[in-house]
Amino acid sequence: MNGRKSWWILGTLAIVLLSVVSVAPDAAAQKKGGVLKVGNLGEPPTLDAHWTTATITEVITNHIYEGLYSIDAKAQPIPMLAEGMPTVSKDSLTYTFKLRSGIKFHNGKEMTSADVVASLNRWGAQSTYGKNLYARVAEVRAVDKLTVDMQLKEKTATVVIALAIPNNFAAIYPKEIIDKFKPAEKATEWIGTGPFKLVEWKPDRHIKMARFDDYKPRSEPASGYGGKKVAYVDELLWIPVPDAATRVAQIETGEVDFADDLDLNAYERLKKVAGVQPIVAKPYYWLVAVFNKKEGLMTNQKLRQAWQATLDIEPIMKTVAGGHAELYRMDSSLAFAENSLWHTKLQGLPWNEHNRDKAKRLLREAGYRGEPIRFMTTQEYKWMYDFALLSKQQLEDVGFTIDLQVVDWATLVKRRNNPKEYDAFTTGIGAFYDPTQHVYLGPNWPGWTDEPEINRLLGEMAGESDYKKRYALWEQTTRLFYEKVPVARYGDLFGLRAMRKHVKGFDTKPERPRFYNVWLEK
Amino acid sequence: MTSYLARRLLALLPVMLVVVTVVFLLIHLIPGDPVAVILGPEATSEQIDDARRELGLDRPVHEQLIRFYGRLVRGDLGRSYFLDRPVLQALAERAEPTLVLMGAALIVAVVIGVPSGIVAGAYQGSWWDRGLMALALLGVCVPGFWLSLNFIYFFSVRLGWLPVAGYASVFQDPVSAARYLVLPAISLGFNQSALIARIARSCMIEILRQDYIRTARAKGLAERTVIYFHAFRNALVPVVTVIGITMAILIGGAVVTEIVFNIPGLGRLIISAILRRDYPVVQGVVLVTAAAYMLINLGVDVVYAFIDPRIRYA
Repeated sequence: MNGRKSWWILGTLAIVLLSVVSVAPDAAAQKKGGVLKVGNLGEPPTLDAHWTTATITEVITNHIYEGLYSIDAKAQPIPMLAEGMPTVSKDSLTYTFKLRSGIKFHNGKEMTSADVVASLNRWGAQSTYGKNLYARVAEVRAVDKLTVDMQLKEKTATVVIALAIPNNFAAIYPKEIIDKFKPAEKATEWIGTGPFKLVEWKPDRHIKMARFDDYKPRSEPASGYGGKKVAYVDELLWIPVPDAATRVAQIETGEVDFADDLDLNAYERLKKVAGVQPIVAKPYYWLVAVFNKKEGLMTNQKLRQAWQATLDIEPIMKTVAGGHAELYRMDSSLAFAENSLWHTKLQGLPWNEHNRDKAKRLLREAGYRGEPIRFMTTQEYKWMYDFALLSKQQLEDVGFTIDLQVVDWATLVKRRNNPKEYDAFTTGIGAFYDPTQHVYLGPNWPGWTDEPEINRLLGEMAGESDYKKRYALWEQTTRLFYEKVPVARYGDLFGLRAMRKHVKGFDTKPERPRFYNVWLEK
Repeated sequence: MTSYLARRLLALLPVMLVVVTVVFLLIHLIPGDPVAVILGPEATSEQIDDARRELGLDRPVHEQLIRFYGRLVRGDLGRSYFLDRPVLQALAERAEPTLVLMGAALIVAVVIGVPSGIVAGAYQGSWWDRGLMALALLGVCVPGFWLSLNFIYFFSVRLGWLPVAGYASVFQDPVSAARYLVLPAISLGFNQSALIARIARSCMIEILRQDYIRTARAKGLAERTVIYFHAFRNALVPVVTVIGITMAILIGGAVVTEIVFNIPGLGRLIISAILRRDYPVVQGVVLVTAAAYMLINLGVDVVYAFIDPRIRYA
């Protein structure tokens, strides 16, 4: 017994020593200080996280604010400002959240349940995802200083994931800010609990953030967007650089330490620059043609199926990705491969068929007589224009008449809300963390998918908490998607970003960049 | 002269009224929606309608125009939908970079253009003339953005002499400001220097054929004296007109230069405002730019009188 015990002690010691030896260099390398300059593509429309789904706002504001929950590397919700996962009543209608104590806002005030209740209610009234959840919420109330109850009208399995998603997210603001800015009014004071606090926003010059010294990191290791967050750099400077070629030149010369949203054609060039590490950002978007199912030609399901049957997706993706196989992926799942929880591997789906005979048959069955189909796209996002143009060629080869309408982005996002103005439009679908959040499957988003069977499956998924049952329902939804064709799914396109090699600790895996836990070695 | 200036300034008012009305109608009648851009790609139609109501964008265009006039009379250009600040403040913040860039580009254009044109005109048919005019032709033909990108590639990326892009205030850090300004000022000013050089050459040739020049030469004056004291000043009047036009063109040219070199000026502001349909900002920038055009023209007219004493304003 003594011998076994000695071996156990020795083994434990060896493991501890090995851990120290292997971790020590990294730990020693992590150093505070410096200014991290990030070149991004423009100005956010607002820094009020409750107000917009714009990606740029998501990226920037996730450094200032935090929610009760966040998303880990496996796309699962993990606690952030909540102490742990909520306790749920037996009838599944009451969620109780315990808050972490001693959390301070950037204005020095301590976070309490009053701030959380006010913030969640504002988010529920204004955010796309908040409204979705609040349709099932009866009341959110403070139980004590650090406890919040959420009372539901009906059972739903999406409470925690909805509070964890990083886009248009349930950021916790001080109650005073909520009192000052009603949901319909954009907040113009930006105070959160995140590892960086906002110093100044000078539009077209920079957004300057500084390390928040009173930040209290979680003890769990960093994972995905959550876990332990440490601000190593003194300042984070977001510099809007609208010209893509200039962003590439600035990362080459080291004028910025990190450049986001780069032209895919710069990939080869950046690989050859000594001090630069190009990063393939995946997932990024899957490309999609969204059909108008409220009015016009594309209300005809056969016509949508003909479109889907026509597409030869590989050459389209290859061209859009500038010929780089590393920058796109052929996948039919509606969830990205990186989201192992919801990624599907269904066989026999009518995706990437490039079956001209089938397409022609479907066109005949649809009664299509060559009427022009108004396909709306924009050159502001080159990848959208490229895939629309290539689609037009393939579709016209089988008998479609495509009226490609190239407009600017502001026009496209306006017109797509009017069913009289288009038949199809281009866009990209980013990561979703729960099947019930895929906006293109619902009736409230442009294109207006209102398929009773899909609605039923999504409703069942919302009320079901067993993962296996939910996954089976999701597979059914995916099959139904390819039958009803509310949108035409193309391939996955990856993004390109780059950083100087002196930037250390950056996690390249998450979809969107985060600069906590990042330090500079120069 | 004073009454002339007062009349010209008063005449600006109806022109400005027409300009702001046309711009207001144009920007509101073209498709596009600031609200859909603010709320992001996942926003629902219902959210967009709510926000449009909140901003008053659901009201008829004529009603919005009357409100706009009302604010204008009170000196209020409105508030930017995106920048969370009054338009006047946004304009004031961006005036310095644009004015500094235009000033530097104008210096480049004049310093290169005027001497080149005078030398080419004075020595018409010489190799100097041919060489300088070939260069001027190149200057007119080369697009500014192409020149800008090539400058960045050679002087910043390859040689590392100058920064790629950015801006520093001349009042806070003159050395950095100069380093940031060199490439944009040359790429913006080079095109205009070519135009100035060609006009200066033509004027010089024209003046050198005048009787008084022949008389000056017959009096035995040195050729240098004839050119610089008799011909040069007279050749300047049309050149000043072109410099005035150049300043106006530079306002437009600054748009591209500011985007490529990432200068936070008025040009970049108006492009982003148009793309995002930030109506109040578009109207504000156009109003200020139109006023600047008209004031530059007025200034040029006044300068004539000083250069050529024969010109007097009743």
